[in-house]
Amino acid sequence: MEHEVHTNGKEEVRIGFYICHCGSNIGGTIDVAAVADYVRTLPGVVVSKDYKYMCSNAGQDMIVEDIEINRLNRIVVAACSPLLHEKTFRSATHKGGINPFFFHMVNIREHGSWVHEDKALATEKAKAVARGAVGRVRFHKALEKRKEPVTQSVLIVGGGIAGIQAAQTLSNAGKKVYLVEREPTIGGHMALFDKTFPTLDCAACILTPKMTDIGSDPNITLWSYAEVVDVKGYVGNFTAQIRHKPRYIKEDLCVGCLDCIDNCVFKQGNTDDEFNQSLSKRKPVYIPFPQAVPKLVVIDPEACTHLNGGKCEQSCATACERDAIDFNQKESFDDIEVGTVIVTTGFKTFDAARKPLYGYGRYDNVYTALEVERLVTSSGPTGGEVVLRDGRRPKTVAIVHCVGSRDHQTNRWCSRVCCMYSLKLAHLIKEHTGAEVFNFYIDMRCAGKGYEEFYERLLEEGNRFVRGRVAEVTDVPVSAEEEGKLVVKVEDSLAGFVRRIPVDMVVLSTGLEPRQDASNVRRMFNISCSSEGFFLERHPKLAPISTTTDGVFIAGCCQGPKDIPDTVAQAGFAAGEAMALLDKGFVEMEPMTSFVNEELCSGCKTCIGLCPFSAITRDDAKEVAVINPVLCKGCGVCVAACPSGAITQNLFEDCEIFAEIEEVLAHA
Amino acid sequence: MGSIQREIRLESDRDPGFADEIRSMPGCEHLDRCIQCATCSGVCPLSVYMDHTPRRIMELTRDGFKDDVLRSNTIWLCASCYECQAECPMEVGVTDVMVALKNKAIASGVAPKDVPTPVLAREFFRMVRETGRVSEGKLVQRLYLKTGPAKFFGMIGLGRDLMRTGRFSLRSERMKRPEDLQRVLDGTPGVGK
Repeated sequence: MEHEVHTNGKEEVRIGFYICHCGSNIGGTIDVAAVADYVRTLPGVVVSKDYKYMCSNAGQDMIVEDIEINRLNRIVVAACSPLLHEKTFRSATHKGGINPFFFHMVNIREHGSWVHEDKALATEKAKAVARGAVGRVRFHKALEKRKEPVTQSVLIVGGGIAGIQAAQTLSNAGKKVYLVEREPTIGGHMALFDKTFPTLDCAACILTPKMTDIGSDPNITLWSYAEVVDVKGYVGNFTAQIRHKPRYIKEDLCVGCLDCIDNCVFKQGNTDDEFNQSLSKRKPVYIPFPQAVPKLVVIDPEACTHLNGGKCEQSCATACERDAIDFNQKESFDDIEVGTVIVTTGFKTFDAARKPLYGYGRYDNVYTALEVERLVTSSGPTGGEVVLRDGRRPKTVAIVHCVGSRDHQTNRWCSRVCCMYSLKLAHLIKEHTGAEVFNFYIDMRCAGKGYEEFYERLLEEGNRFVRGRVAEVTDVPVSAEEEGKLVVKVEDSLAGFVRRIPVDMVVLSTGLEPRQDASNVRRMFNISCSSEGFFLERHPKLAPISTTTDGVFIAGCCQGPKDIPDTVAQAGFAAGEAMALLDKGFVEMEPMTSFVNEELCSGCKTCIGLCPFSAITRDDAKEVAVINPVLCKGCGVCVAACPSGAITQNLFEDCEIFAEIEEVLAHA
Repeated sequence: MGSIQREIRLESDRDPGFADEIRSMPGCEHLDRCIQCATCSGVCPLSVYMDHTPRRIMELTRDGFKDDVLRSNTIWLCASCYECQAECPMEVGVTDVMVALKNKAIASGVAPKDVPTPVLAREFFRMVRETGRVSEGKLVQRLYLKTGPAKFFGMIGLGRDLMRTGRFSLRSERMKRPEDLQRVLDGTPGVGK
């Protein structure tokens, strides 16, 4: 076919257009052959083809061959979302021998066939957007990707089992790790547990050796009682500021002998012990638990008489042979440079008081599951004795599942671990006390290796299971057997009638939810949250630990409720991804950044405050704005805001955008 | 030996369109969300008197067992206290479904004659439509005339005591322009004549 010569003012434009059927995903709704026939008539188009799967090797080879045979210098592919295959087709374009940015992709699947039912209209829309792409691609310029080196270290935020696992994996590969933990010790929630389901492994026995290894690992800088307060930079080159809270102990001098604790003027604890879920008291100078890592004491400024300005003989300081106590300690800061970040900030448990009908906080003998975890632990406040607050041993215990979970009034999601930890607690309570244990459940969700078998074991052990969500826990008796007891009111939905079951103890299996300050963490690391407030993964299946910010990974329960095996697997995955970035050694920066035309710039600074990535500064000598291409993410805010029209963005230049708009609108 | 009461239910016992009819009524959109957790039955102060618990009514309704639900005493015992609806974790309009079922039962003529609830509901609505107000004395008279005049005389003592303390009156009340209200009510889908 004789082709009319078409130029963009500089060179002859020879466009190749390819439209993908994507099996029946696109071809089932859009008449792809008709679109290809239409585009063939547009000025500058030399080749126009449709193909079953453009992303296949054969599809890509077609582009490569056509570039060579037909001397194509611009390529347009109409297919799925650029998020999926822009990279694929750019490299095919490059393989054909032309600059990869002489390519443009049109999304006719997510924006076309998948969302439209009218085939004729969907086909017309595909023609319009294809026409727009053909119109704009002629103005595309050759661009180059920049390479930046990657700082060879990793910041891990949160020292629970996820952070510990990721730190160990990275350290094993010889990588430098900064592990920052907010609490005085690492260990997270796992350190609170007695046993782990379904194997009933002792949690401390499997966790504390890992914690000790972290504390003595030369590749790992462990900063506990510290918080990340600021993060700047981009993948491969982050800077973070860490705030160290004052422990009032010189960390390099303290050896964890605990003499200060023994000699505190308070002979008994005077403040709630957070580690024991406030079931016991601790002194103002304390160590969270015997196997804490780092093994350093902390002075609680709220509880310490001296730090509160009161009169105290400071016997702790006198007792310390190494003069490690420093009442004048102030917070301090560290600035670090890291290549990647792994966020493992974990979860918080649902506040049981938000379901008032269950009586938590109102009745002494209503406990949360986490409190009972401490009660069954031999290192806990009762030495492993499951006793009520009045010292009695319970003869009947109710475990209420789904507290705060699967509930539109609180948290809609299933917290995934409660069924299994409820079974574990049922087993342990029965083992410790011989009590009759009732489980009240909506559904038993025991999906996992060995989990269903554990449920079966509990059934065989004679635990009682009542299918029905508890309506109410009350202490108002209606019969003699209920006197002095807590009564669980529930419809036994398998038996088909409402029951009242008197018990001595109620355990509320509270669900998991995002930490209160998750949204601050989200903002600091520039990642996203899903509607419930857990950190959002880039792809729920194929990128479950990546985020929308390159180089920032997530693992563990900050991404969503999960058990220990899943958390450990995810943490290892995150460590692997971080390592891949570090070992590659460089990151490629997309060239669609903005730049300033100094002749037009009036130096008004409008753009500086608007840039979400702090990429713009002002050259005071020249009185113009300067954009750091390394920091620029190509969001285009400055381009739109510039009152002088002095800022241009690669791949989104005015001529390109206007040509696209004109062509889309011209199709009618 | 007593006879066995239970029977096997066949697919032909179901009315597949019934659930759709209920779902289309106000407040009943989320019927299918029900996860049979039984909170409704557990909190219901009257569920012990019901032949089917509220949970089972939700299940039977969405499965289309129209006869079972419309002939159950549950819907007439429901006092619309809304406890079930307030506590439902899936925000199913349990009470609203009960109301919808009552309406269906009345419309399809299966409402029991000896239960005063539908009579009270009908008379209550009629009075509001006619006068814009509820006059207790008149309402009670109408209720007992239709459900058993003999009972009326048994209640005279109670009525007298209530009148003496100002909690019950025989006076008739009327709004200014009840025809305006009638136009509103008659134009409301599902409410009009």
